[in-house]
Amino acid sequence: MIKAINLQKSVPVADGTLEILRGISFEIKRGETAAIVGASGSGKSTLLGLLAGLDTASQGDVEIDGQPLIALDEDARAALRGEKVGFVFQSFQLLPALTALENVMLPLELAGQSGALQRARDYLERVGLGARLDHYPTMLSGGEQQRVAIARAFAASPAILFADEPTGNLDTNTGNKIIELLFELNQSEGTTLVLVTHDERLAARCRRRFLMDSGTLEEAS
Amino acid sequence: MAARSSMSPLVLLLRDWRGGELGVLLAALLLAVSVVVGISAFVSSLQSALVSESKQFLAADSVVRSGRALPVEWRQRAVSEGLATAVTLGFPSMAMTDQDELYLASIKAVTEGYPLRGQLRFSREPYGQVTSTGAIPAPGEAWLAPRLFALLKVAPGDRVWVGDKPLTITGTVRSEPDATSASFGYGPRLLMNLDDIPATGVIQPGSRVTWRLLLGGEDAVLQEFAEWLRPQLIQGQRIQGVEDGQPTIARTLDRAQGFLLLAGSLGVVLAAAAIALAARRFSVRHTDHVAVMKSLGSSRQQIARLYGGSLLLLGLLATCLGWALGWLIQAVFFRLFAEQLGVAPGQVGYEPFLIGGATALVCLGFFAWPPLERRARVPPMRVLRREVDADQGQRRGDYARGAISVFGLMWWYSGDLKLTGSVVAGLLLTVGLGFLLAQLLLGSGRALGSAAGSVWRLGLANLRRRSSANALQMVIFAIAIMLMLVLVIIRTALIEQWQAQLPEGTPNHFMLNIAPGDQDPLASFLQNQGIEPQPQFPMTRGRIMAVNGTVLAEDRSSGEERRQREANFTHSAELPAANILLEGTWWSVDTAEEVVSLEQEFARGVGAELGDVLTIRVGADEFEARVASIRESDWQSMKPNFFVIFPPAMLERFPKTYLTSFFLPPEEKALLNSLLKQFPTVTVIELDIVIGEVRTIVERVGQAIELVLAVILLAGALVLVAGVQASVDIRLRESALLRAMGAGRGLLLGSLVIEFAVLGGFAGLLAVLGAEVAAWALQTQALDLDYQATPLVWPLGIVAGVLVIGVLGLLSCRRAVVVPPLVVLREV
Repeated sequence: MIKAINLQKSVPVADGTLEILRGISFEIKRGETAAIVGASGSGKSTLLGLLAGLDTASQGDVEIDGQPLIALDEDARAALRGEKVGFVFQSFQLLPALTALENVMLPLELAGQSGALQRARDYLERVGLGARLDHYPTMLSGGEQQRVAIARAFAASPAILFADEPTGNLDTNTGNKIIELLFELNQSEGTTLVLVTHDERLAARCRRRFLMDSGTLEEAS
Repeated sequence: MAARSSMSPLVLLLRDWRGGELGVLLAALLLAVSVVVGISAFVSSLQSALVSESKQFLAADSVVRSGRALPVEWRQRAVSEGLATAVTLGFPSMAMTDQDELYLASIKAVTEGYPLRGQLRFSREPYGQVTSTGAIPAPGEAWLAPRLFALLKVAPGDRVWVGDKPLTITGTVRSEPDATSASFGYGPRLLMNLDDIPATGVIQPGSRVTWRLLLGGEDAVLQEFAEWLRPQLIQGQRIQGVEDGQPTIARTLDRAQGFLLLAGSLGVVLAAAAIALAARRFSVRHTDHVAVMKSLGSSRQQIARLYGGSLLLLGLLATCLGWALGWLIQAVFFRLFAEQLGVAPGQVGYEPFLIGGATALVCLGFFAWPPLERRARVPPMRVLRREVDADQGQRRGDYARGAISVFGLMWWYSGDLKLTGSVVAGLLLTVGLGFLLAQLLLGSGRALGSAAGSVWRLGLANLRRRSSANALQMVIFAIAIMLMLVLVIIRTALIEQWQAQLPEGTPNHFMLNIAPGDQDPLASFLQNQGIEPQPQFPMTRGRIMAVNGTVLAEDRSSGEERRQREANFTHSAELPAANILLEGTWWSVDTAEEVVSLEQEFARGVGAELGDVLTIRVGADEFEARVASIRESDWQSMKPNFFVIFPPAMLERFPKTYLTSFFLPPEEKALLNSLLKQFPTVTVIELDIVIGEVRTIVERVGQAIELVLAVILLAGALVLVAGVQASVDIRLRESALLRAMGAGRGLLLGSLVIEFAVLGGFAGLLAVLGAEVAAWALQTQALDLDYQATPLVWPLGIVAGVLVIGVLGLLSCRRAVVVPPLVVLREV
């Protein structure tokens, strides 16, 4: 379960403070799928980063499975991420020095899980990249890179998967394939999925829809 | 809690390596370690080779010199302490043949084992094939200098008499290692066995002889022996080491050592700069990696263990490979230049290896690690979204700590605070002024650019836009160029001063005991032979007895520091050349004052200061003179120098002889025979061997210096390459974007060249400023050289900056116009 409690984020700018998030509260239950949509610059990605514990709020708190993130330091948040959270970035964020296989193995290795190689291989096969295991990110197309990123996110069996504009850098056709893949894996793994998107098709696939506007969030009916 | 990671630093390192992320850093580390080790090992090996070579001038590691017979127990003690020993005895004596031919020879009698260092070269016939046998003349035998065969009209197998002892001539002395420091030598050499000396009957109490106990062995044992011996020495006895055996050579070696240490130290700084640049690039490129790993659940400790461990492994790997490569470099140097250098490699020691390794690890620790470690503490989203700039992960504190540790390394390496301080002063000026000036200059660059064409506008706008990164890059370029310029300046000053010290045609023969009546005929004789006559100096033997009425001790045995001194006095109306007045004033040409001028060391020896009144004895006469001046004499000039100088009027009444010097080319050596026939009372001191040896050493050291300079220039070039590489990513990316938007090849390449050339030009200007300060400080404070302005470095520094940085920049960024833009954008 994810719970946002009066979440606020502001950053100092040249002429004062810019409020990105203005007190956001909501709850997403285990196994739900949720989409956060809104205009560029409305604060969607910032919210997602806070929910995943990748950044800290100026005020308010996030609870993941009842654990308030505010009480955790950077290392404890990292441990929580390692245990429960997966993240898919818009810009993929694959490590260029690692092959596709090694990128997927990385979270498993960091968590000290055994059988990382086999598991990573399985996931890459599931995303259709069984033949590209030893390719480096620069040798893969955008869609392929995002598929590796998705395999990496699911490989660690997270309870919650956050995805920030997973199709944002892809063409429609490739984007559709990625959407299919995301939901297919989500269903089979029973993961809670929270994503940020511009893509109406993607948002429509989620059970719940939230609309972000100038730092405030409203659930669409 | 996070489980223990199954990923090891080694795995991370291997993956990074295979992914091509480590190439630049590993190359920088490897080059840095191997250059530091290579140069230091070469320098250290060269130094010990040169020191051991200079020991040849003593024919020993250390020598006890005495005017009277050496107590037997001294040699026994040396032997019992495990030192190698030999004894030589030198004195002038008439050599006579069975046909009654006579000639004043410089006799040297030696024992078995002579020489302990260097080689005695000998030939059977006067000008026959030279061999080094390791033997000495057997009892009853004598070896003669080639010239003595002609003078005495003898041939091998004939007999020659020294006093009452007839000796069979069995060979020719072609060269002695200690000919320079043991020159008892007023005439050509006659070498004989010391066992024959008693039978000659020529050594009587009071004879003017020089005994030398040659010692060879470990420094520590020699030191211990010297400490035991020193309290027992009396007047006329002293211990000589390399440094006081031949002052000219010792000073040459000293300065060369200073230069080589400087070169090595600059190698350390350059290597550090190369690593710092590559490390910075490495950490900037790895910033995202750390953030991604954190988003995947890595803790700070995990990141520290993985990246810290992998950097440490990388450092160790580079250190080991660099050691091997460095050792190879110095071995190759010696092999390549063995013939020119004429010395065998000496001991390297472990220090160069330690310093090489420390340089790599310290630089990684201070330059590569802090930004990564800092990233591990920041929420990953802020890194990935560039809310914290990857570049600024490196803070001024990191550079400051890194710089301090590099200076520490430099100090450790050189062991010379003045030398390190001089370089640091230049560097501080370059860095401090550099950042200030960089901002100003880069600002003015834009003003200029907006008035210029589009290529210029783009190039200069780029400079301006990245002004803080460019300021850093400019300062690093400036440091590299500055260090190279410093070395060029010092090398030029050193070589020029060596050449000036003994210019071609330096008088290489001295003539003593010239009777007043022989003065003019001798000058005409030389002139007729085409030899330029030099000034003749009057010489009167005398003794300083007392200072301000206090009678000085006669010898050292009294324990008094101040002692009576006997010396050759001269008189002169003017201050002789190669002398500098330190205190007091020089007398007027026709002074009738009773005054004297003393050389500073001599003044110290007798304990006299300016204004003191000396009691002086010449023959049976005693008189007084006030010290009117204290002088410094240049003993390296190989010109006649005197400890004690009077105004002409004061010495007029005493008998005197004259001293002069002249240059005799080696091929006219035979002229000495006719000169001595015509002026039999004159004594000739042959300094040509000394001067030849000094020249050889200077030449060898000069070659070594050129070689080391070349290596340092190479290291400097590597820093420049690393510096250009450090900024290539961002420039490639921007160029690719511009190309994607339709910018032409000419515009892109032109603007890149302008950008780098302007950076290089400014860096060159800064470098020249810093180099001038460092070179001045080094010359006047650390290396005991006279400051010489080198205006040439101004155009050299600036033009080299423009050309080298411009070309390197162009080469590094040419991918931007060769490879399709998309490929570039995906790669960087």
